[in-house]
Amino acid sequence: MSNVDLSPGSREMPLPQNSFMDQFNLEARTQRVWDLSHAVWFTLMGLGGGVFLAGRILNLTEDLGHWLGIPMVDIVSFVAIAIGGLILVTDLGRPLQFWRAFANIRTSWISWGAWSDLVFLTVAGLLVLPALTLDGSQPFNGLGWEPDGSDATGLALEILAGAAAVIVMTYAGAVLARPRSIPYWNSPAIPIQFLLSSASMSLATVLLLMAINDQPINGGHMAMLGTLTASLLATMAVHLSTHRDAPGKQQSLESLLQGHHRRVFVGMVLIVGTLVPALLAFIGAGVPGARAALSVFAFALLVPGGLLLRLTTLRVGIFPPVHIPSSRR
Amino acid sequence: MTRWGMVIDIGTCVGCQACTVACKTENQSPRDAWYAPVIEWESGVFPNATLNYLPTLCNHCEDAPCVTACPSGAITRRDDGIVIADEDICIGSRACMAACPYGAINFFEDSGTASPPDALAVPQASVPERYAHEKHVHGAISKCTYCAHRIDYGVEHGLEVGVHPLATPACVVSCPAECRIFGDLDNPESNVSRYLTDKGPGEVLRPDAGTDPKTKYVNLQ
Repeated sequence: MSNVDLSPGSREMPLPQNSFMDQFNLEARTQRVWDLSHAVWFTLMGLGGGVFLAGRILNLTEDLGHWLGIPMVDIVSFVAIAIGGLILVTDLGRPLQFWRAFANIRTSWISWGAWSDLVFLTVAGLLVLPALTLDGSQPFNGLGWEPDGSDATGLALEILAGAAAVIVMTYAGAVLARPRSIPYWNSPAIPIQFLLSSASMSLATVLLLMAINDQPINGGHMAMLGTLTASLLATMAVHLSTHRDAPGKQQSLESLLQGHHRRVFVGMVLIVGTLVPALLAFIGAGVPGARAALSVFAFALLVPGGLLLRLTTLRVGIFPPVHIPSSRR
Repeated sequence: MTRWGMVIDIGTCVGCQACTVACKTENQSPRDAWYAPVIEWESGVFPNATLNYLPTLCNHCEDAPCVTACPSGAITRRDDGIVIADEDICIGSRACMAACPYGAINFFEDSGTASPPDALAVPQASVPERYAHEKHVHGAISKCTYCAHRIDYGVEHGLEVGVHPLATPACVVSCPAECRIFGDLDNPESNVSRYLTDKGPGEVLRPDAGTDPKTKYVNLQ
């Protein structure tokens, strides 16, 4: 006999991917369209775009190691975004048709995301190409711009890549927030949370690379990390405390704060994944000798916290009933 | 300008699910895909308990969130207001499914039953479902089209849409209680406009979603 749980609501039950029509009754339904692979995709996009920006804004690209002549922060960024893009493509129902995702840039945030991924990888790739070193030579050195953006063409490429990186970091949240179908998602707080989470994860990654490369981490870096993480916590608190009685959001909040996802969300996202790293960063701002170690800890907590933030956000996406009868109002 | 729409009078629905089955047969929708289910719920307490019915389908919204969310442009709104999905263009991102407040969009999962012999071997599938692979694309979404093929046939052959059975959605034709009325919302003389004039403007599902549906309900409790 199989031990598979086939009770209604079990995630192991092979239910069709439809919000409410699998059972013809009038209830709020949890979406089952997007799950772990999408959370990983969202996280990698946020991390990839953010690491590129953090390295450039803090002017640290040349100090954190190189691979084949390319700054390590850029390598991390490219790899994260490329893997995130591959996850997105493989999750499509028809992966070989992925190129059609570029079609509806007029209204679809996924199209915006596809274009921003492509523009970022192309432009940022071009930007660093002159630095590519193979067998001691730089075959693209004659391209005519500086990979660090210190000349006009390099700066233009850097600004364009940076703008694309901002969209890469933001669009996943916008995909969820735009439609009104799921009240918990339909809030500016979701893209802001994703953006702040991406920024804090990315800064922590850059600080980790600084620690690995014995680069001095100053108090300003730690204070910035603490401020970003505390801002994320504040945004989450506001989102969790507003419109609490709205149909759909009410069930989402119950699931996050009292129900099935409480341990992961409250424990791993709010406390371990956000509050603790914020405290560590602020402590690091005042304790110079502990900054490297605290940066490593902050990174180790923030990245899983960011992934779980996105995963729990997806898993508590609840459609309210299509109609609330007068007898239930 | 023609703007097709439907009125569903909840007061006359008897919950027979004839529309559900007629839709399944007409559209050969994939297994587990229901374009026009009738939702049921209980109200009241014994001995005054009542079973209530809510026939549903795609609302063919004026401000359709599925059209907005679709990255490939597979879902479009025709000039006559019908929201249709081109399954050959769909990439299966399912963004429309997350965006639709009504759960009206179905995904034809590639479960390894793409080839006809496999599809026929699925014991749980109904006869229309066993042939769904001939009409639908695996890995793509599908949805109610207000039976656009029947409407187009009617328009092409000069039949009165919403009145002649061949020019009316299958769910409307099959309803024994005549609780579904279909026609041109912009034509004040159409059966659907006259019904709304007689019974009131009608209500919509999930008004909070702000989608301006063209499927309207009368006697919604």
